[in-house]
Amino acid sequence: MERKRYSKYNRLLVALAALIIVLILPYVFSGYILQIAVYAYIYILLASSLNLLIGYAGIFSMGHVGFYCVGAYTSALLATKLDMPFVICFFAAGLLAALAGAFVGFVALRLNDIFFAFATMGLSEVIRIVIQNSDFTNGTLGVTGIPLPEWFGRSMNREEFYYLVVVIVVIVVVLISKLAKSHTGRTLAMIRDDQNAAASLGVNIFKYKMMVMVLSCFIAGLAGSLYATFIQYINASNFGITVSINIIAMVAIGGMGTVSGPVIGAILLQLLPEYIRFLSNFRQIIYGAAIVISIMFAPKGLVGIRWRRIKLIDQLCCLFETKLNNEES
Amino acid sequence: MTMFFQQLVNGITQGGLYALLAIAYSLVYGVMGLVNFSTGSIYMLGAMSSWLVCKYIIESFWLSVLISFGVGFVVAFVLEKIAFSAIRGATRIASLICTIGFSQFINEAVALIFGKATQGMSTFFDQELFAFLGVHISVMQAVLVVTVIIILVALQFFVYRTRIGLAIRTVSMDEKTAGLMGINVNRTISIAFSLSGACAAIAGLMGAVYYRSFSAYMGWMPGIKSFSAAVFGGLSSMPGAILGGYLMGIIENFGVQVFSTGYRDVISFIVMIVFLLVRPQGILGSKKKVKL
Repeated sequence: MERKRYSKYNRLLVALAALIIVLILPYVFSGYILQIAVYAYIYILLASSLNLLIGYAGIFSMGHVGFYCVGAYTSALLATKLDMPFVICFFAAGLLAALAGAFVGFVALRLNDIFFAFATMGLSEVIRIVIQNSDFTNGTLGVTGIPLPEWFGRSMNREEFYYLVVVIVVIVVVLISKLAKSHTGRTLAMIRDDQNAAASLGVNIFKYKMMVMVLSCFIAGLAGSLYATFIQYINASNFGITVSINIIAMVAIGGMGTVSGPVIGAILLQLLPEYIRFLSNFRQIIYGAAIVISIMFAPKGLVGIRWRRIKLIDQLCCLFETKLNNEES
Repeated sequence: MTMFFQQLVNGITQGGLYALLAIAYSLVYGVMGLVNFSTGSIYMLGAMSSWLVCKYIIESFWLSVLISFGVGFVVAFVLEKIAFSAIRGATRIASLICTIGFSQFINEAVALIFGKATQGMSTFFDQELFAFLGVHISVMQAVLVVTVIIILVALQFFVYRTRIGLAIRTVSMDEKTAGLMGINVNRTISIAFSLSGACAAIAGLMGAVYYRSFSAYMGWMPGIKSFSAAVFGGLSSMPGAILGGYLMGIIENFGVQVFSTGYRDVISFIVMIVFLLVRPQGILGSKKKVKL
């Protein structure tokens, strides 16, 4: 009982600290670090949405970048060719990606796990290659001059857009955690753990899988729209398989099937190579090695490790807790 | 007509590479029921070792074949010992993610050592064998086709006529029963895995010789395409995988004539997706019944 109260208290403290850091970041750091931070937030969206598939529903998609790409291009083309406001671009990106997801799901969800992985990877490559070769999407040149959103009659500056991204990420992550605890989330977990048992209890597996696929692709599309709007330039060559693998790495390292896992994984894998300069050359190697190590030694990811089992950390925690205890009494 | 035969010849040459890689997938899928995503990386390592041999030791095609065979065999053996023995019993998704990690790691390690740029490869057998009604066939193409066929025949002999081959086939039928019958399952899986690595590495050498280049990222596309080829022909059957590989090479070369070259890579994916939907067991594969 005592312990539980403290762990809740600690968690609140951590969340508050994180929020403060996130909010004051634009005042402390200059443009480049801001850009890295926004990348990290976009990757949080991507990793969380992929985690819906891998962690909650047990559907292994290797083509998540395809939906991200669809979202980015939808938003960019609507904004540059039709001069649509950001809100419309943003939701249209999500909807079109969700539509693509529905199509892919309808086509591929009846396959078994490995074939599904390769089929989605193939489809995402098809999407990329078609975009790269068609004139409508400006081919290999990419789309340039995507405007930042407007408000109060002027266009946002990057700091303001940063806060917009933060708000969207927080909303999405909170909604995902609500979903995970809901009836639907439990049903998805049952499908993941034993598909046949779920089917024999009368769960419509295809319907649930389709639903989570559409939802996940919707979020990926939103992330694509944010990316395109923030960077203001997109090119199909930036949406290769490596991006998919990076997202998988974030989910696997953070912890599949948890809400905080992908968030931690995304921030860690995005920031670590940036802040430790000499590591930036090794970035992709780190991703690869991290996947292997986490699958072999910590299959539940960083979140799943029982840190208290490591003696040094346990002692530190105890020290901290007794200190808190003394202060309170 | 000339164009037709020229594309057919090119398709068969390229199809040989895909067939070797498809066999690599098929062997592993047979004994372990999972897909080794790092096959493409072993392909690249085979190309790398032959490139190193030609650059620093001696420009010999046959020595390169031997060396890449050895490298592929050893790398796959080590990979199996490190990755698959450790996580055997984990879910299939976990092991697939693990091989993706390995693939990424190997590719990037090579990119770090030898650079990301495409390197030139020395040319072998450059002269023309014969030209018939405008169809040009180089000695290199003939050598590649013949070598691939020799390897495939030898592999068929190994799997269908020797004791170890019998063990491999038994394990792919039913791992538990094979163990009960006194077959050393771990060793059999290890052998099959190493053989698949050797096939992939030789395919890599052929790829490097055929395209006259080597780069750290050359394994991606052939790796994925030949998986499509294996699905196309039937992942669970070795003759199916070979057939799929050759057909895929031929289809791709004719497809380039119909569509533009930019869409080259799309063709194989579309073939794979269509087959996954219409006939998931492939042309020659047999459908596995799911038992509860």
